[in-house]
Amino acid sequence: MDAQLKRGLMDVCVLAAIRDGDAYGYQILKDMKPYLSLSESTLYTVLKRLETAGLLTVRSEEHAGRLRKYYRITEAGRQRMAEFQAEWAEILAIYRFITRGGEHG
Amino acid sequence: MDKETFLARLREGLSGLPRSDAAECLAFYGELIDDRMEDGLSEAEAVAGIGPVEEIVAQTVAEIPISRLVKEKVAAKRKRKAWEIVPLALGAPVLMAAAAVALSVYAALWAVAVSLWAADAALLGVALAAVVLGPVQFAQGRASSGLALLGAGLVLAGLAILLFFGCKAAARGMLILTQKTARWVKTLFLRKEGAT
Repeated sequence: MDAQLKRGLMDVCVLAAIRDGDAYGYQILKDMKPYLSLSESTLYTVLKRLETAGLLTVRSEEHAGRLRKYYRITEAGRQRMAEFQAEWAEILAIYRFITRGGEHG
Repeated sequence: MDKETFLARLREGLSGLPRSDAAECLAFYGELIDDRMEDGLSEAEAVAGIGPVEEIVAQTVAEIPISRLVKEKVAAKRKRKAWEIVPLALGAPVLMAAAAVALSVYAALWAVAVSLWAADAALLGVALAAVVLGPVQFAQGRASSGLALLGAGLVLAGLAILLFFGCKAAARGMLILTQKTARWVKTLFLRKEGAT
């Protein structure tokens, strides 16, 4: 897969993993595993990138005597997801056109 | 490997990074190991699942802009002794000259890539003109020169298409070179930091 495309997909996947509620790093990895296998180091860079871009916020909370970081999607993050969905509706339409041509050939 | 050894090796690998970035990265992996253990894995399994330290370091460094690394280095070295400043002041012009030379070589390489595109565009322009003017000459009764012009135009167009692939390769090569140089400059900062 094209590197730039994969980067964009990973960003939106991580946003999707925290869309319905705050989540911590390991939980995000586990939730995404059936769909996209992400290494820990990749998740870290994606989370950092999203935080810098203001698409998510981080807070620390005590859990079992230690601190755990929870990630929360921001309004800008939700907007990014909506943009992604609109873009992919277009791409899917093109995909359908391409594969329909394939059936005739 | 146990958690402490893993984190110690990671700390060492990240030693050239801004302190806050390194601390944040260490906290992230420490938490991940704890969460894996809480999920039922042994300490060794939890650490093994994280992946090699070198890969984590490489990926973390790649995401940090060079400007941040430079700023950290300058901030860390602010208190210098007088005997350290003299060779630095003397060496600065040499270093700056070396940097200027490197920059001009880089610019010259880009100039070659750009001029290839310009040559290709010029070639294509001449080819198009010849292909259009050839039939015009032919129609005006100068059959032989019209045909020759058309033929030359087609040959030039073919050359332009071939050169287009060369142009693309040159541009891609320059982009790869740029990425590699940026990565190398970063390792330079990390290495120096580790040595002092």
